[in-house]
Amino acid sequence: MGAFVALAGVTVLPFVELRPNRLVPGNAYSVAAAGPWAYLLWLLVAVGFLSAVAPTARARAASSTASGYGLVIALAWGLGAASTALLVDQTAVARVSLGSGVWVLLAGTAILGFSGGEERRRKLLRWAGPLVLVAGAVIAAFVWGGLDRISLAREFSVRASSFWSLLGGHLAMSGAGLGFGLLLGVPLGLWATRNRHVRAVTLGVTGVIQTVPSLALLGLLIAPLAALGVAVPLLRDLGVRGIGAAPGLIALTLYALLPIVRNTYVGLAEVEPAVIDAGRGMGMSSWQLLWRVEFPLALPLIVEGVRTAAVLLIGITTLTVFAGARNLGILIFEGLGQFAPDLILLGALPVIALAVIADVALSALGRAFTPEGVRA
Amino acid sequence: MSSRRRINLELVALAAAAFAWLVSAQGFWESLLRAIFPAQPMVLMPRDTLAAFVAQHLALVGVSSAVTIVIGIPLGIFVTRRRGAEFRSLVIAATDLGQTFPPIAVLALAMPVLGFGFWPTVMALSIYGLFPVVGSAIAGIEAVPRAVLDAAEGMGMSPSQRLLRVELPLAARVIVSGVRTSVAINIGTATVGAAIGTGGLGVPIIGGLAVQNMAYVLEGAIPAAMLAVLADAVLGQIEAAVTVADSAATT
Amino acid sequence: MIRLEDITRRYGDETAVDSLSLEIAEGEVCVLIGPSGCGKTTTLRMINRLIEPTSGHIFVDDRDILSLPAEELRRGLGYVIQSIGLFPHLTVAGNICVVPRLLGWEKSRMVDRVDELLKLVGLDPNAYRDKYPRQLSGGEAQRVGVARALAADPPVLLMDEPFGAVDPLNRERLQSEFARIQRELKKTVIFVTHDIDEAIRLADKIAIMRDGKLQQFDTPEEVLNHPANKFVHDFVGADRALKRLVRVRVEDVMRSPATVLDGADLLTLQVGAGRRRFAYVVEPDGRLIGWVDTLGLDEGSVPEAALTRVVPADASVRPDDSLRDALSRMLGLGFRSIAVTDRNDVLLGEVTFAAVEDAMTEGDEHISNLPPEGAA
Repeated sequence: MGAFVALAGVTVLPFVELRPNRLVPGNAYSVAAAGPWAYLLWLLVAVGFLSAVAPTARARAASSTASGYGLVIALAWGLGAASTALLVDQTAVARVSLGSGVWVLLAGTAILGFSGGEERRRKLLRWAGPLVLVAGAVIAAFVWGGLDRISLAREFSVRASSFWSLLGGHLAMSGAGLGFGLLLGVPLGLWATRNRHVRAVTLGVTGVIQTVPSLALLGLLIAPLAALGVAVPLLRDLGVRGIGAAPGLIALTLYALLPIVRNTYVGLAEVEPAVIDAGRGMGMSSWQLLWRVEFPLALPLIVEGVRTAAVLLIGITTLTVFAGARNLGILIFEGLGQFAPDLILLGALPVIALAVIADVALSALGRAFTPEGVRA
Repeated sequence: MSSRRRINLELVALAAAAFAWLVSAQGFWESLLRAIFPAQPMVLMPRDTLAAFVAQHLALVGVSSAVTIVIGIPLGIFVTRRRGAEFRSLVIAATDLGQTFPPIAVLALAMPVLGFGFWPTVMALSIYGLFPVVGSAIAGIEAVPRAVLDAAEGMGMSPSQRLLRVELPLAARVIVSGVRTSVAINIGTATVGAAIGTGGLGVPIIGGLAVQNMAYVLEGAIPAAMLAVLADAVLGQIEAAVTVADSAATT
Repeated sequence: MIRLEDITRRYGDETAVDSLSLEIAEGEVCVLIGPSGCGKTTTLRMINRLIEPTSGHIFVDDRDILSLPAEELRRGLGYVIQSIGLFPHLTVAGNICVVPRLLGWEKSRMVDRVDELLKLVGLDPNAYRDKYPRQLSGGEAQRVGVARALAADPPVLLMDEPFGAVDPLNRERLQSEFARIQRELKKTVIFVTHDIDEAIRLADKIAIMRDGKLQQFDTPEEVLNHPANKFVHDFVGADRALKRLVRVRVEDVMRSPATVLDGADLLTLQVGAGRRRFAYVVEPDGRLIGWVDTLGLDEGSVPEAALTRVVPADASVRPDDSLRDALSRMLGLGFRSIAVTDRNDVLLGEVTFAAVEDAMTEGDEHISNLPPEGAA
């Protein structure tokens, strides 16, 4: 199936688009623009088809994995070759941007890669070697293959200095929201296990907050904060005003609460009553019980909540730019405002990458925190 | 228990009616926002009426959710059948990975690939909405106890009878909760759609923020929040309704 | 050792325990028994202050337990519950060391203690030390639970239906092992159960409770022979004579084995004094291998065909088994007598049906573990 998708990407859809400048649409070119690399792409798609008909499971897995990794490398070099070829005799502002075929080809490649390996998250280490190889080949395509001439790379080089500060701002904002969410959420979850009313209120309120659209929540926070900042100059100096980091940070913290509170609560509540009874009966104080028994057992679920919250926040952080924060959202929404696809990509792709990295890293952390005795 | 549900149902219906009246009462909003922001010369965004913003929002969410359900549930069922089994791990991997993509980033990416406007946005929302629906359809169906299926087979049910009379009723609660998640995400992401020119309640919010008019912001934010909570409550009622059928089927 | 003075515990209008007074001597096993809701578990949990009495006083070692911090008190009282409550994230050794760690023992002392305790409860330290609770069977987990309760060598053990969740076969094994450990360690034990057979088997004193009130507090023999009221009479049940057998150990009534034939190869019949018809056949090292019917056999060699081989574990009882075990074995095999062997299958003696009948009718004559004089 992956091979079919990849085939559609290489044949039917445009490979690259040559535009006179970064904002206006241009002419589409097929994969033939990549010159000899086009043949390699074809060949690798053919190898992908082998994965459907190969006699042994081993051969199927090998061919789909090989074509998956190979396609990424060939794509990087092919795009570089195509942009180098097309940009000859063009003005300095002309751009070669990715056609829809590239995205479809990438989707097909991802499918091929997945069907080759069994489980994405479990086998991270086994993937590390090939991943380094592929990353190296792609970087080489930037340096020697002309991939730096593709418009996304050009967009990046134009904005390189602000890009890194926006990325930093993004991480800081999401991280701060997550940190505050943890500081508030874990004690709230703990309190919820001790008190029925607290449980009903916290789980109910955080649940409603989670349903409210993030942009609307941001809007609802800005108006009162603006009023507060006007009324109390001291708070205003501290950054509490309608526009700025404060409303965004509050909104992010509120969003982080539900997964963290809920998972803390569930994790602690799921500790067997007999275990608690035994611990108390042996003379553990409630603190000892909490630190030595309840938290170690609840930790994997709490980390799982943090993972959910982190992935959520990395996306929502982009919206805080409407309240004046500076992060990758600026690139996305400026790009949408200017109809500049490359700018949008420059913002959106790193956001997706951050979310996936956070997901993988926190999943691994959750497994590391799972006590051996309770591992499945 | 059932009388309590009926009360909840009536409450939700009442809330829906109140919401419908509220968004059509343009004058009410004007006087409310003017009372909060007396200094603001314009308190309602002139581009459209509030009812129109809500209608655009509902259209976006309604169409994309419908597409999501019509495609997502059968897809989830398909990969749990013997014929679709070979795609199961692929689809699960895709839904897992897809759900880690921030919806806003996906919406933004849809623009360079699909273009601007209503239909590209619907398409982006539909694709993103698929992840929770497909995931929950698979999870719900696979959670049906093996013994129940054996019993159904032993009683002579055909595969389609097993699906319609046993698996789907038992999986209904989980599937509806996936739809609920998907709709909540759609309502939220659709507000951002205003930045791609699709209209909806995001227009006054984003517009208000751009021109520093907090009245506009509230004009969009309050109804958007109400709409989201209301939709969640309605789907929660449906979830509760199919849950009763669920427990009745297991006993 | 432990004295309950006029203890009452109320929950709202309900009285769970109603002015209960008990005195338990050092080294005694006191079983609290009664139908569910009779207040037996509440009473037990008041002794380690998991529940506070509404009124009344409890003394352990002549000290009012309210004068001690609850945690300190509990560390001195071993606690075993039906659901065991092993900590799933700790190994067997980690579980056993919970209280020693709370008490700040040195590491080497804890390591030694773990091995010592595992041996005591019949588990191989090398095989079990590093296992996690989920890797244990129900019976093994309960042994670890007992070991954990004994870890800091508390003078008192509180056991709340410790063998209630184990299957009947394992329960009997655990009971006889508990009896063995108790003979060795002489702890003061408060043991809650709803199983009258278990109570009769293990108790030095039985406290029968109903609706929070004490019905009778006496030795098992007295409870069997002279029930204080109709409730006790009915609770003990009609098969009083059979129950009495539970109190008599095999070693107290066994006689030296009938005729013993020496060596499987040299089956030379040695005619014993009583000239019994059935003779046990043992290896030179004394291990039981079967029996012969001597009727119609000449003195001299015994043909191999006359030998009935047996699996010793199935066709014999142990010296510390109860007479009821012996009786049920006999009935199950259809024999009028049964061999008594030790752990290594070495023949020690035999119990005859006549001896069982004597114990049933004569009552107290053979009863072991009689409480010390004046303890009533």
